Amino acid sequence: MRIQIIGFGVIGQGLARVLLRKEEELRQRYGLEVSVVSITDISGTAHAEEGLDLRKALSVARETGAIVNYPGAKEMSGVEAIEEIEAELVVEATPSNIKTGEPGLSHMLAGFKAGKHVVTSNKGPLALKYRQLVSEAERNGVEFRFEASVGGAMPVINLARETLSGDRITAIEGILNGTTNYILSRMTREELSFEHVLKEAQELGYAETDPTYDIEGIDTASKLVILANAILGIDATFSDVKIRGITRVTPEAIRLAKERGYVIKLIGEVKNSHLEVSPRLVPETHPLNVDGALNVAMLHCDVAGEVTVVGKGAGAIETQSAILSDIIAIWKKVKG
Amino acid sequence: MVIRMRVSLDLELKDEPGQLLLALEPIARHSGNVISIIHLREEERLRAGYATVHFTIDVPDKGCLERIVEELEERGVRVTKLGEVTKKSKLTLLMIGHVVDTDLRDTIDRINELEGVMVSDLSLAMPHPEKESSAIVDIEVSAGVDRHRLMERVYAIAKEKDLEIVRSLEV
Repeated sequence: MRIQIIGFGVIGQGLARVLLRKEEELRQRYGLEVSVVSITDISGTAHAEEGLDLRKALSVARETGAIVNYPGAKEMSGVEAIEEIEAELVVEATPSNIKTGEPGLSHMLAGFKAGKHVVTSNKGPLALKYRQLVSEAERNGVEFRFEASVGGAMPVINLARETLSGDRITAIEGILNGTTNYILSRMTREELSFEHVLKEAQELGYAETDPTYDIEGIDTASKLVILANAILGIDATFSDVKIRGITRVTPEAIRLAKERGYVIKLIGEVKNSHLEVSPRLVPETHPLNVDGALNVAMLHCDVAGEVTVVGKGAGAIETQSAILSDIIAIWKKVKG
Repeated sequence: MVIRMRVSLDLELKDEPGQLLLALEPIARHSGNVISIIHLREEERLRAGYATVHFTIDVPDKGCLERIVEELEERGVRVTKLGEVTKKSKLTLLMIGHVVDTDLRDTIDRINELEGVMVSDLSLAMPHPEKESSAIVDIEVSAGVDRHRLMERVYAIAKEKDLEIVRSLEV
């Protein structure tokens, strides 16, 4: 299967590394031979019909920070690469943008139009235009999968839609952002202030220089919208979410909660068509009380009852578990 | 959200076969759900040839209960006792902000104003007079109280007083 990688940052490079590592295994277990025919980043596109040398691509990216320095690469945009280069599948892994959804949105639409399957980790376009994207994919008869857009390595979308396909899922709640969970967990354990732990998290690289997306609940809200659409079938978009972040949580508040047997967690909840992100009191013994940077989601099912999944919510390599599972699922479907 | 109320009622039934069914039919017809039935045979009989049976049922609302009672009486079943069983549940709220300076007393009074709602416990943490303080409160909520309405009131107070509300998960 010929694959195009659009976006060669943490996720795109992680995919290249895992594909190198798993080359033999994918062939043996699934008869799947992946050939990465193009890689695009903001600088341009490297292209080789017989497949790029992923080791070389990784070293070019590491040493120069721009894929245009790969031998023979051109200043070709992502949309151009999708339109002009022959391939079966596009992995869209550009940074998420919750205001416009770009450039991911255009990449995905171009992919569908070109008759290519799309796998993505990019939540912005999905949180803004879920319905449009899904119907465009359908109209063009291609597969569109996005497990990596929610919860990184925590399998929730495919679990709900495939493994739990006999259940009707009525509500979901969970911790969908690792950074805020890390901050709150550390505030709880060490009785430190929010500002202190945030600085620490930034120094460790757990939080972005601009942490707004995480701490204001925007990232959680984007993921919640995707779950509401993909699992509960609710036609919701980002602006439908009532959002409150964790910036006002104090060590004293955490201590008071602890005395009553609660921890404070930033919870995304969709229930009765109502989408909300807010800090909540979670009983210490509750399955949603997971520590550190972990993500967790609890699905309320009409047959199975409650099903809870826990996993690593981010990470260059861990996220590939979701991307690979999507690529393999598409491969199994199309090879017949 | 379907709100049900739990009701206990004592019925006087003729002490002969088939009478229980006579009482059950109206309950079922008006969406009542029987939780328990106890024959009070040991108790003093109000009328010879009759026995008192104690029912606990859940009904969707007061209207249904009224229709059940009406129909029982029409069938000659006397309702000798009727009362709502108050089944209370608890919710916990954490308030962060200038909890004391914005008149904590007033905050509690305004929550208590709602029927079936009562603040039952409160702990306070004040790290420094100028810094934001926190209070955690337990609220007892009677069965049948609309929790959404309660939370709307809480959020309205919080907005007015610039308090951050952290509510427990099940609410």
